Amino acid sequence: MVVPGWIPRGALAALCLSLVHGCGAPDPRPGELRGAHLTPPWPKPDFTLTDTDGDDFAFRKETSGSVTLLFFGFTNCPDVCPVQLANLAAVLHRQPGEIANRVRVVFVTTDPARDTPDRLRAWLDRFDPAFVGLAGPLDEVNRILRSVGLAPAVKVPTNDGGYAMGHAAQIIAYTEDERAHVMYPSGTRQEDWAHDLPRLVRGDWARIDQ
Amino acid sequence: MNVTWWCSAQNAPWSWTWQAYPGVWLVVGSLIVGYVATARRAAGRTHVTPGQGGSFALGVLLVWAMLDWPLGPLAAGYLASVHTAQYLVLALIVPPLLLHGSPPWMLRQWLGTGVRLRIARGLTRPLIAFAIFNVVMVATHLPAVVDTLKVSQLGSFAIDVSWAIAGFAFWIPIMAPLPELAPMRLPGRIIFAMANLFLPTVPASFLTFAEYPIYALYELAPRVSGLSAVQDQQIAGLTMKIGGGLVIFTTASILFFQWYRREEDKTAI
Repeated sequence: MVVPGWIPRGALAALCLSLVHGCGAPDPRPGELRGAHLTPPWPKPDFTLTDTDGDDFAFRKETSGSVTLLFFGFTNCPDVCPVQLANLAAVLHRQPGEIANRVRVVFVTTDPARDTPDRLRAWLDRFDPAFVGLAGPLDEVNRILRSVGLAPAVKVPTNDGGYAMGHAAQIIAYTEDERAHVMYPSGTRQEDWAHDLPRLVRGDWARIDQ
Repeated sequence: MNVTWWCSAQNAPWSWTWQAYPGVWLVVGSLIVGYVATARRAAGRTHVTPGQGGSFALGVLLVWAMLDWPLGPLAAGYLASVHTAQYLVLALIVPPLLLHGSPPWMLRQWLGTGVRLRIARGLTRPLIAFAIFNVVMVATHLPAVVDTLKVSQLGSFAIDVSWAIAGFAFWIPIMAPLPELAPMRLPGRIIFAMANLFLPTVPASFLTFAEYPIYALYELAPRVSGLSAVQDQQIAGLTMKIGGGLVIFTTASILFFQWYRREEDKTAI
């Protein structure tokens, strides 16, 4: 490569290095997770809703023993929901089986009136057919939202005469100890998921809580 | 209707509803008015050929298409691939069209004989031009720069303008439009063109081969197409690598054949 001698090579190297590292935030300490820490950890809720096959899904029992990512949203959501799920799916697809198979993603609709089981299933399949879709009466979903520490969902009228659902955008990560030590806000990046998911599966949260 | 001065990332779902960008019209209008006014003032003494007029018009058309709705906002806040295509066109295609469309007498009129000419001569010296083109190209593709600047209209404008300036810095030494700008001989121009081929492959490679999206802006933007953020980024990298390489290789080849023909003619004499 032709690089004139008068160009400081250090500056060139710094430019290239910053590109390699993405100029992002500095790496956290080893073992540290990038999600927002929950202290004290939140207990896993015990609720039953209906899955996209029409069967009862007892959340606590069905997700026991796995890392469970719980997310509330709706299929007409134009921004946060599809971006969060797409990023999560993209990372899970790149994880080795021993990590990906131990992570379950559970999506609870906050718009049960429009999100029929078929619609919910078709929408989730665009990201990953293994994602679980759950529905129930909005009152029940809001009770669950409050019980896990999130704000209830509300209908927001839109300009076209329809409505959207205002809802919490965080994904709560429950680990094998049936508690949530971290949650992930809207804006969580793929590299953050790639960093944290293996640690959640391996139980690094235990070291953090000590 | 939402009117903003210049395209920037909106952090809102993409809409196919037309939006006005008066800043873009101002830039395009200034180019047209400046060109036509200069040509009219010189009418009778000299003229613009149809080829030159067509080349300039095509350059202006591309500036308008790249910066205005829908490509402008798509590049600013939704798709890294469109952002890269915008870079390619503004830095590598528009400047030669505008330079080819501007006859020497017109360039002389714009540059004058004073400060503007001295600045132009300084900025288009080969090593300075090399540094401008490559530093701008690498810096404007750094994640921190893109994620910080593209969210504001001024920042987005600064990136677009820097691409155009870098493009002129790259093309003037190659096209040598005026003897006053101390042009290199053809072999020097070939070396200059080829030297500018290598550094752009650094960001292009990171875009193509990164496992995860490198720009938060495009990763977290509501999706416009069926492309994932990584697929969009890979297309961006390939566009930059193949498109940029093609333009520079073609240019170097043309210069080489010009040089070869000139040497042949000399031998024949």
